[in-house]
Amino acid sequence: MKLTMNLIRNCITFAGALALQGCVTAKIDEMTYNRPEAGVGASSVVLLGRRHASDYDTEKDFVQCVRQHIQRRDETIAIIQEEAFLDQLYPWFEPRTAPMHPSAIKELLGQPAVANKLQELDTQYMIWIDGNTERVDAAGSMTCGVGPTGAGCFGFGTWSDASNYEAVIWDFSNLAEVGRINTSTSGQSYMPAVVIPIPIIAPVQGTACEGIGEQLLQFLSASY
Amino acid sequence: MLDSTTIASKMAQLRGLFVLSLSLLLSACGANQVVVQSQFPKPVLDPLPVKVGVFLSEEFKTHTFVDDPAERTERSWVVETGAAQVTLWQSILTHLFEQVVYLDALPENLDEEEDVGSTESSAELPRIDAILIPTIADLQYAIPAQTNSKVYEIWLKYDVTLNNPDMSPISEWSMTAYGKTPEAFMLGAQEAVEAAAVVALRDAGANFAVNFPKVPAVQTWLQKNRIDAEPVSSGGKP
Repeated sequence: MKLTMNLIRNCITFAGALALQGCVTAKIDEMTYNRPEAGVGASSVVLLGRRHASDYDTEKDFVQCVRQHIQRRDETIAIIQEEAFLDQLYPWFEPRTAPMHPSAIKELLGQPAVANKLQELDTQYMIWIDGNTERVDAAGSMTCGVGPTGAGCFGFGTWSDASNYEAVIWDFSNLAEVGRINTSTSGQSYMPAVVIPIPIIAPVQGTACEGIGEQLLQFLSASY
Repeated sequence: MLDSTTIASKMAQLRGLFVLSLSLLLSACGANQVVVQSQFPKPVLDPLPVKVGVFLSEEFKTHTFVDDPAERTERSWVVETGAAQVTLWQSILTHLFEQVVYLDALPENLDEEEDVGSTESSAELPRIDAILIPTIADLQYAIPAQTNSKVYEIWLKYDVTLNNPDMSPISEWSMTAYGKTPEAFMLGAQEAVEAAAVVALRDAGANFAVNFPKVPAVQTWLQKNRIDAEPVSSGGKP
């Protein structure tokens, strides 16, 4: 029994050591202007995902990943959490009602209740993230079984993911768009299995998150 | 040879196994029951200067969608949205209109009611500018097993009626709402349907709040019924 446990432990350690990352190809385009040289200061920034398309939603965890990436690198940047902002300004930033152009903010500010709330939040930049990650291809097969002597899998699987995201920066002080950052990433993941499946995952979405997060950090932070 | 203690022990094990199997069997046969319960955020709205009576029917307050399976292998769905509907609409209406009076019955029925409880009787009916009656016309849902898509979806359709206090019509229109939850949300089917319903209800609230003042007949009515032009106290509730 002890020998079996040791064997399983060794196998898991071996699999962990082999948990390699697959390769990811990333392309980032950036066009920003009127960058705040002194950073955003005491003002706040809000990152929002676009969810008006019928066939996809910008993932909430992607928006959260970008926010966390920026705040990890520069703690001084105050970023309002997406859900908190949506709740505080309900119903004006729901998928159906969210402004699609900076000029629509002017209309919103024409309503005293909305203007007061935005003033209270002291939002300097509103950043819209639009896009998603999808599986574009998958192949292979794997069979797993459980018997009296143990369990195991055998086979090989591979799949490729692709991400396309665009971040659009709106400046609240002059109600204008001040930047656009595009990122396209793709990668192939593999999972060979001989008794134990060994995932070799390509961090496609994670790379896109870091790419956009880094560019936004350079725009918003005075330290980068 | 088994002694009586061993036999009793075996019987107890078999009984336990039987109960477990039966409960598993029954759970597989039961309906997918979803009770939509949610708190909705306080809407950021500038109240329209009108006093509106709102009638939410019993059917509305206890709205339940039941979908029986087409095949014996499928489970039926029961989605109760009534409580969440009331919470949402009360939240929206309270902030959309300067004053809201909830009616337990429509004016034409008031005289027929002997005991109306908290109903505003015709003698007590406060002066209102209009009566709003939202009704749920339809609810549809889609789950990944049915559509091969990766999302749980809910569609809601409402019929909204705005009448004068004497029940003559001002306007009537339909309104839709939609909510979806990605499969990757990692929820069970029931939780995912509930989450989609909450998104659809938020959408319904947003749709109504933003588009109500844009309905042409409502625009005209609003211009005529500004509270500041004709104060409520002039003919209001005693």
